[in-house]
Amino acid sequence: MSRFFANGSDSESESSEDEIQATNFNKASAFQFSDDEEEVKRVVRSTKEKRYENLTSIIKTIRNHKKIKDIPNTLSSFEDLTRAYQKALPVISKEENGITPRFYIRCLAELEDFINEVWEDREGRKNLSKNNSKSLGTLRQKVRKYIKDFEDDLSRFREAPDQESEAEDEVVALESDGGDAGDDSDSGVKPTEAAPKAVKTAPAKAAPADDDDSDDSIDWDSDSESETESSDDENQYQNMRERFLKRTTEKEEKDDDKRKDKRKEQKIKIRKRAEDDEDGEWETVVKGHVVEKPKMFEKDAEIDVPLVLAKLLEIMSARGKKRTDRRLQIDLLFELRDISDQHNLGTAVSVKIHFNIISAIYDYNQKISEPMKLEHWALLLEVMQSMMKLLLANADIIMSESVAEEHEEYVTAPFYVRGCPLAAVERLDDEFVKLLKECDPHSNDYVSRLKDEVNVVKTIELVLQYFERSGTNNERCRIYLRKIEHLYYKFDPEVLKKKRGEVPATTSTSVDVMDKLCKFIYAKDDTDRIRTRAILAHIYHHAMHDNWFQARDLVLMSHLQDNIDAADPATRILYNRMMANLGLCAFRQENVKDAHHCLVDLMVTGKPKELLAQGLLPQRQHERSAEQEKIEKQRQMPFHMHINLELLECVYLVSAMLLEIPYIAAHEFDARRRMISKTFYQQLRSSERQSLVGPPESMREHVVAAAKAMRCGNWQACANFIVNKKMNTKVWDLFYESDRVREMLTKFIKEESLRTYLFTYSNVYTSISIPSLAQMYELPVPKVHSIISKMIINEELMASLDDPSETVVMHRSEPSRLQALAMQFVDKVTNLVDVNEKVFDMKQGNFFQRGNMGNRGDRGYNRNQNNQGGNWLGQRRDRNNRNRNQRGHHKNNQDRQQQQQQQVQTIDEE
Amino acid sequence: MANFDLTRINCQFLDRHLTFPLLEFLCGKEIYNQQELLEYILETVNKTNMIDYTMDTRKRLNLSQEMPEELVQRKAEVLATLKQLQNEVAPIMKATDILKNGESMKDSKTFVNALQKDYNFKVEHLESAYKLAKYLYECGNYQESTSYLYFCLIVMSPNDKNYLNVLWGKLAAEILTLNWNTALEDLTRLRDYIDSANFSTIQALQQRTWLIHWSVLVFFNHPKGRDLIIEMFLYKPLYLNAIQTMCPHIMRYLATAVVINRTRRNALKDLIKVIQQESYTYRDPITEFLECLYVNFDFEGARLKLHECQTVILNDFFIVACLNEFVEDARLMIFETFCRIHQCITISMLADKLNMKPNEAECWIVNLIRNARLNAKIDSKLGHVVMGTQPLSPYQQLVEKIDSLSMRSEHLAGLIERKSKQKQNQESADSWKYY
Repeated sequence: MSRFFANGSDSESESSEDEIQATNFNKASAFQFSDDEEEVKRVVRSTKEKRYENLTSIIKTIRNHKKIKDIPNTLSSFEDLTRAYQKALPVISKEENGITPRFYIRCLAELEDFINEVWEDREGRKNLSKNNSKSLGTLRQKVRKYIKDFEDDLSRFREAPDQESEAEDEVVALESDGGDAGDDSDSGVKPTEAAPKAVKTAPAKAAPADDDDSDDSIDWDSDSESETESSDDENQYQNMRERFLKRTTEKEEKDDDKRKDKRKEQKIKIRKRAEDDEDGEWETVVKGHVVEKPKMFEKDAEIDVPLVLAKLLEIMSARGKKRTDRRLQIDLLFELRDISDQHNLGTAVSVKIHFNIISAIYDYNQKISEPMKLEHWALLLEVMQSMMKLLLANADIIMSESVAEEHEEYVTAPFYVRGCPLAAVERLDDEFVKLLKECDPHSNDYVSRLKDEVNVVKTIELVLQYFERSGTNNERCRIYLRKIEHLYYKFDPEVLKKKRGEVPATTSTSVDVMDKLCKFIYAKDDTDRIRTRAILAHIYHHAMHDNWFQARDLVLMSHLQDNIDAADPATRILYNRMMANLGLCAFRQENVKDAHHCLVDLMVTGKPKELLAQGLLPQRQHERSAEQEKIEKQRQMPFHMHINLELLECVYLVSAMLLEIPYIAAHEFDARRRMISKTFYQQLRSSERQSLVGPPESMREHVVAAAKAMRCGNWQACANFIVNKKMNTKVWDLFYESDRVREMLTKFIKEESLRTYLFTYSNVYTSISIPSLAQMYELPVPKVHSIISKMIINEELMASLDDPSETVVMHRSEPSRLQALAMQFVDKVTNLVDVNEKVFDMKQGNFFQRGNMGNRGDRGYNRNQNNQGGNWLGQRRDRNNRNRNQRGHHKNNQDRQQQQQQQVQTIDEE
Repeated sequence: MANFDLTRINCQFLDRHLTFPLLEFLCGKEIYNQQELLEYILETVNKTNMIDYTMDTRKRLNLSQEMPEELVQRKAEVLATLKQLQNEVAPIMKATDILKNGESMKDSKTFVNALQKDYNFKVEHLESAYKLAKYLYECGNYQESTSYLYFCLIVMSPNDKNYLNVLWGKLAAEILTLNWNTALEDLTRLRDYIDSANFSTIQALQQRTWLIHWSVLVFFNHPKGRDLIIEMFLYKPLYLNAIQTMCPHIMRYLATAVVINRTRRNALKDLIKVIQQESYTYRDPITEFLECLYVNFDFEGARLKLHECQTVILNDFFIVACLNEFVEDARLMIFETFCRIHQCITISMLADKLNMKPNEAECWIVNLIRNARLNAKIDSKLGHVVMGTQPLSPYQQLVEKIDSLSMRSEHLAGLIERKSKQKQNQESADSWKYY
């Protein structure tokens, strides 16, 4: 059912496909039967057929509507049906002696059953939309009324729904057109290669079991050129066949008919084999043909390399044509491989055939956006592995894209084969990801799919070995990147053990492997994209294993943040993932500020989920079209690579809290206060707006509660809100060394609470004893000493230490209101002058800077230094800042007059 | 103290001849096994042409008093080659001697012209002069080598393939002859050349790394070097990058230079940033001392580190001369920081933190107060130093803040006025253009 929906619940898309096929078919037919002679002969079409066809097509739409429970449409189709039947009545009474056709009765019976079923299902009925339930009522009444006329037929039908009479019908139907065609096709049919399906036959046994089939067989009555109405390919093939039939009656049989025929029969056999995995709609049957297995080669033919190659070429030349049965191709190729193996034609030929099998399997799936079938993929993997083993085992085979077709060499070593295992394995990998994305990530299905990852990695490893032996740098880089992409997001506990010295230093860990691969790419790659991706993956991997400094240095040295905006979406997603992981790493490594810097860009937008490609946001008012959504879906990360979003957000909020709360406390009366983290502010404000704040439930509430506790300097409560059972299971336990992280957190909370406490309450003290502070915050005295010293040096705290008595003596005299206002005003004016200078600066380029170098040289320099060391976000943020300043400037100009008024006021007050 | 010794690393970036002073210095320090060191020296010397030095080392190793046969032979060979090379260059050198006195010496172009015109000078001569200089250098005759190199530098065009080598050779020879003034000149010339030449990134990095190491030798011996080292290592991003990526151990010398340079206290902030950034790749007592003092404000730790610093400096060839200065300045730094934080300090505690006796410390503080470098009073009854800091009054704060504002605004207004005038002038000029 779901597949049905996925394919397009709107009948539109389906029909459009059909149309495409139909038009193609027209082209094909036009190409094949351009003789005028035939055109004339094909006009025969009885009224019966016309009417019947009309009926069947309506029946089919009804069936489709029923499938998706589209009741209003069923109703309208039903009305059409009755009308069509009315029209057909004269024909029926003439041709069938007044007996209602069985398929019609069947439809009515089914419709009735369907209505009853829906009607019975009270639960389901409640859920129906208003429109649906209304039409359901109408439909039920109408049908009841209508079928009264057919009661007899219906009861007869219900007694024996699967009678032979039906089969008879079909036989009759077939015979009727078979009769047209004269003596039938046992030997007379001569289809071209391009239309092998036209003569497909199968025993009738399948028919009664399957409704679709019987439908189709009814369709065959028609002799028409109905292209668009019928949604089934078989119809068209059937039409084709009939054309053939007509022609063949008048033409002479050709010599090779026999052989072709045999071939045909073999196809049928193969088809039967494959039938298990095919959808119902493809299992169409045509009766009356005797089947017989065709041969690849003549019995007495001597099978040697050129012959096999010629055969291969013959098979492959059909590739890509509309009429080609793609499955058949695969099977033929397999057979060819067996034959060549039997006759010991050498590994080179075998490799070539393997490669062609791979491309044939890829051809099978025509839509790129949809994943290929699982069994095909498994087959592909198998073939791929066996091919690579052959290649690796035989060093004298050189397989490469650069080998031109005329230079291929299969007989003597060294062998040259044209083909590219790299592209094949890349596609294999892509298909694997597609298959994964198709599964529900929480099901067992996903897990079992994921088990195949090992095989994929193994295959990549094989290809990698092959290219390490013989491959250009570019090819090696590409395959290395593939390996890296399977490696970078996996955590290897060995790395941390090695760091602690628990395992000998010689053990090779995933970090070492990454190093090796990435360094090769850095040195040899000449496309920028591979290198960029390698760097990103490398950083990600380092960050994952707590190699904070290496990761940071790589980020800073690569200057990625400057030009990542120009990269393709996939790379940008990787960049975002890298940044997220880097932030987590910084947090684990006690660099709260850096953690905040890394995460702020992701979190400030409020849609980290989208930025990390871990799911689409529910869309508002059709923001994106179906097309766009499809593309975005393709970009999504498979589930096992996801970064836990709650963890990410929690880490971000906690680090924002650790930075923001002391900052707020320190700049409580500061006019120029800026927000460090907008998102955090939002959380805080939304909690303040609540009239009643209950105990925290979610992660966010916990952080907000902790922040509030910290504002009063209550570290104990704060720590309890951040580190507790609920938060442990939700967030902290996701870290590898969660205990260490928790310890670190408590330490930071203590320190920052102490700072907040000092900022907030310093004005009520003249002196505070350091030991008592240390006791309050359970910190060692030297640590407290150091924190306070730092605050004094940075002029955050107006105080000094008194050594003999071990106290902090406050100097801060609370400014009077007037003084405070004056200070604020000065700040504003300074701001204004700064902005003025900046604006002039921008307008005039460097002109101004030269003039003012002396004044601001030092400050400017410091700013540069900051950029170098800490500014992760690079130019983008700078640009934002500039914009903001500009905007600020305009506002300031407006404010100016107000300020001047204020100035007058203040002066008056003074 | 072997774990803080950098000789091994430094030697990787130095010329073979430049390592000898370092190694000899280590011989006197008893950090390593004497015997092994000497053997290492011998091994290195053997790769040069300094036969006498080889002999000397052999003697110190008590190998044999006699000169081995092979060495005798080599000596003869070396002398022969030297002779031959000298003969090749002799005529040109004579000419140079004559020309030196004349006017043409002023400009290299006229000099070369004169040489070509009057003395039949050819490029091959230059080549052989270069060879000779190199050979002399290898023999340990640095003085003579410099004069030939000087000649080469004048005559050679900067595009010559040997030009870079000549520059390096000149620098090395000047360093080895302890001519610090010329060495500094050569150093700047070489640096300019490296910065302007078209190296690949890796090559440039390598060249710079070498230059950094060689320059340390110059900077710590030249009176101006202490400012220049900060300028070059800390404020030239290219060199700072080179230090960070290739040789973070240079941080030791940079840190030392900053500590002993009282006039450049503002460099300290930047230095500490770099130290913190690189703390995971390199740390030693000197950087840790700064970290303790300015990042953690851990005075006890700083005291201990200062103690370690003394031994480290004592054993480092590059900075051994700055030991006393370093200790004095480090103490002052501790004390300054102390004063900024505290309002009242006991002298005994201070003495403890400064690695001094209480009496000495008191004396030291008195001196500081007398020199007006410190606004404080000593309470000798309690043994306290009381700082005379006054908290900033709001008025002062206000005045401080607005101080520059009017100036800045005026400046800005002036600029705008000038700009608009210019524009007007231009416009009037433009409007005439159409007539």
